[in-house]
Amino acid sequence: MASPFKREKPGPLEYMRQWPLRLIVGGTLVFLYLPLITLMVFSFNDSRRNIVWQGFTFKYYEKALTNDSLIQAFVNSLTIAFFCTIISVILGALAAVMLWRFRFPGKTAVEGSMALPIVVPEICMGVAMLVFFARVFPWPTGLPWPLNLGAITIAHISFAFPFVATVVRARLSSFNRELEEAAKDLGASEWRTFWDVLVPHMKPGLIAGALLAFTLSLDDFVITFFTAGPDTVTFPVKVYSMLRFAVTPEVNAASTILIVVTVVLTAVGLHLQNQNNSKESKA
Amino acid sequence: MAKGKYLKGASRRSLLKQFGAAAVGISFAGGLAGCSRASSRTVNFHNWATYIGPTTLDDFQEATGISVNYTNFASNDELFAALRAGNPGYDVIVPSNEYVTRMADAQMLMELDHSLIPNKANLLPEFLDAGFDPGRRYSMPYTWLVVGVGYRKSRMPSPTFVPDSWRYLLDSNQFTGRIAVLGDSADLIRLSAKYKGHSVNGVPDAMLSEIEQMLIRQKPHIKAFHEDDGQDLLLSGEVDIVMEYNGDIAQSIRDDADIAWVIPSEGTLQNQDCLCIPNQAPHPEDAHAFINYLLDGQAGAGIAEEIQYATPNSAARDLMPEDYKSNTIVYPTPAELARCEYGAFEGDEKARLYEEIFTRISAA
Amino acid sequence: MEQSWKQAKAAFAAIAVPPVAWLVLFFLVPLAVIWAYTFGENVGPTTIDFTGTFANYARALEPLYLDIFGKSLIIAGLTTLLCLIVGFPVALAIAFAGPKLKSWLLLAIMLPFWTNLLIRTFALIAVLREQGYVNFALEWLWNNASGFMTLIGLQPLGDYEPLTLLYNNTAVVVGLVYVHLPFMVLPLYSALDRMDRSLMEASLDLGAGHMRTIWSVVVPLAAPGIASGILITFIPALGAYLTPDLLGGTDSQMIANVIERQFKRANDWPFGAALSFLLMYLTFIAIAAQAFIQRKAERRG
Repeated sequence: MASPFKREKPGPLEYMRQWPLRLIVGGTLVFLYLPLITLMVFSFNDSRRNIVWQGFTFKYYEKALTNDSLIQAFVNSLTIAFFCTIISVILGALAAVMLWRFRFPGKTAVEGSMALPIVVPEICMGVAMLVFFARVFPWPTGLPWPLNLGAITIAHISFAFPFVATVVRARLSSFNRELEEAAKDLGASEWRTFWDVLVPHMKPGLIAGALLAFTLSLDDFVITFFTAGPDTVTFPVKVYSMLRFAVTPEVNAASTILIVVTVVLTAVGLHLQNQNNSKESKA
Repeated sequence: MAKGKYLKGASRRSLLKQFGAAAVGISFAGGLAGCSRASSRTVNFHNWATYIGPTTLDDFQEATGISVNYTNFASNDELFAALRAGNPGYDVIVPSNEYVTRMADAQMLMELDHSLIPNKANLLPEFLDAGFDPGRRYSMPYTWLVVGVGYRKSRMPSPTFVPDSWRYLLDSNQFTGRIAVLGDSADLIRLSAKYKGHSVNGVPDAMLSEIEQMLIRQKPHIKAFHEDDGQDLLLSGEVDIVMEYNGDIAQSIRDDADIAWVIPSEGTLQNQDCLCIPNQAPHPEDAHAFINYLLDGQAGAGIAEEIQYATPNSAARDLMPEDYKSNTIVYPTPAELARCEYGAFEGDEKARLYEEIFTRISAA
Repeated sequence: MEQSWKQAKAAFAAIAVPPVAWLVLFFLVPLAVIWAYTFGENVGPTTIDFTGTFANYARALEPLYLDIFGKSLIIAGLTTLLCLIVGFPVALAIAFAGPKLKSWLLLAIMLPFWTNLLIRTFALIAVLREQGYVNFALEWLWNNASGFMTLIGLQPLGDYEPLTLLYNNTAVVVGLVYVHLPFMVLPLYSALDRMDRSLMEASLDLGAGHMRTIWSVVVPLAAPGIASGILITFIPALGAYLTPDLLGGTDSQMIANVIERQFKRANDWPFGAALSFLLMYLTFIAIAAQAFIQRKAERRG
């Protein structure tokens, strides 16, 4: 959907080409990234306590890369976040459609319950999960990886999918039902209507929801802390225990690596997307 | 206009798929690497962060063939809360003195089989028994430490000035806005009691309300309640005087010679971090072997070298260099030690009372 | 507009059952256990007796705790307001950006939030503290201004006093905005993207200025997005505890810090649970009130 305002002068709606908005967006990005840049710079600091700059070194990168437990924690976090995102998006989308489309007895109660995970204080949720997995629904210990991460993943999904549902629901409210009815009139089945008409409209909501779920899971500390065990440590939990005692540059190095890996992965993904799209347009 | 339509159309979902596939790829690789490393015998060691020597765990594996699965926690409360509903699988934990009592009372600890810990002969005689764990039924000492005052010499009113009283932190506006104290309700109240000349334990209610009033008056002068990172506040120049543990300050002095330490004249709290085995530990025998190894002289020396805290292990201490043994920050003089007391666990009710007092102070 | 579930039973079952079942089993059940705790008493260090007592709620409603609730509401509200003020233009800019720039911008906004919260907060400390970058920059400006004034014959400015940007409530708000900004930007973006632009163009063609167009055309159309953005920003901000813990001073205690201490140091799970549920009831009432108002407005409109 090309913008019809491709003139030399910025069109009225091309906000990014107008200086006030550029300033705001630029300022926001500076605000967001300045602490991160200092973080990355200080990962090269030759000082145990990492308060004052004392010299340049790579040794903390060595330490971080050979720290098995840190790497294992990384991997755990990424795995949990991945599964959590997939399932949360599915459940969240279904929940959003359910609330948007249907009238049914007990709807208000369901709506209220869906808001609960957003409202519950994390520590309360963490303790609830602790007790749940210890007494009510014991998760077998000693399972091989990645099944032993199941308890944490379940906990993450439970608090993430209502966020996805909220975002998708906001998106659905702008959907024109006549499109759906038109598809049905033309003979499409329920499933096809859903997949080919509704889902494309939901796309921005789904993407935003997926990003949100991924972030929530990757960064979660409190709930994971209470559901983690000796062999299921995640990155935030590991970092928390390290930071409380000694702000060594090793943690900075580990975070920098995480940031770089994430950027590279996404850049690769976008690049492949680019190629994919140009192939499609040629076909 | 397909080019550049990254986030529109079906391409959006496949982007996510690709990203996800890459993440899974990395995860599996890492996971498999993890699996191959898992040997037949392991021990799950849950310890404070940076509280072990650099090669201790590898040396243990070499000596016994048992690998150590090492995880960390950041406070006694976390440890207690995590174990409260049942042991998630830890073999060896490191609670502090008060929490040994608390966990033992709650039946969360396994009684130690001393016959499996022959290295306890290495311990200094005063550590073979403990008021908080009579007969050492549940714990073996790992390190011991005291709370005191860390300060920046150049910011004191005169070069010879030594802030050797809790007054400067708890009851005076001399260093207003440049003070940091421990944000732990029990420790803060106990030290206030010590300042007022009373023992840290058994504080009467009348004194508790005095303490509350004093701290509320002092609050505007205190910059922050810290949780064990007071030395960072001191190093970065946010505060000039701080309530902290001796080992943390000893480590900071290595980085910055302008920092100094003193134990206040009224006396202070002494702590002991102990090795315990929680109930339902999956590998109790290997856990005993690990505790025994940590009490070995060489191992103990390696740990003390790294963390710079006082060791209760005489064999380890003998192997340490002179500057560590004579470091009065790490090893307070007997005169100073005479003024130190262990804080005892006085029951949950008292802990809740202390918490409520702290909440009131913070909200005032 | 809504359809009765009876008209499409199979579809309804397929759509509704998975999320509801998951919610019940893995969320409501654990929560119910904790809810039962609010009516319990501690007997012994690890056991809780369900005695049906209201003592925990009574204690949670004492003025001491209500004050703390109030303060948390104010800080969270301020945070949400700031996020909205900053987030709306950013979301607008991204939604209307060219396709290539759009995905990069979205990524750029999201990327900091894939860094660990704790590390980000420590990095923020490095920026805000007395020997941090903001103060360094201000000091440089100050000294240069002082030099300039001496040059033109005026009295030089005094010594630079570093600003205390940390360990107070300002730091907590800044930290909370820093953490919660994407939770505001994402729903806003999702609502603004693919919005019917012809309405905006029409309004502009008719002579309304940009601000007027935004206020009268865009905001009502994006209202659901704004509402969901406010919801998922305000409520987590209300329950935040790491940020006030790390960045706050002695006066910056929020309700989640108190709750955390009940579950840990005080080992008083029933009371901690009671405080948590009180927080939830209050938030619930607020959401219900807002939904009620919205439905009334819809019926009228």
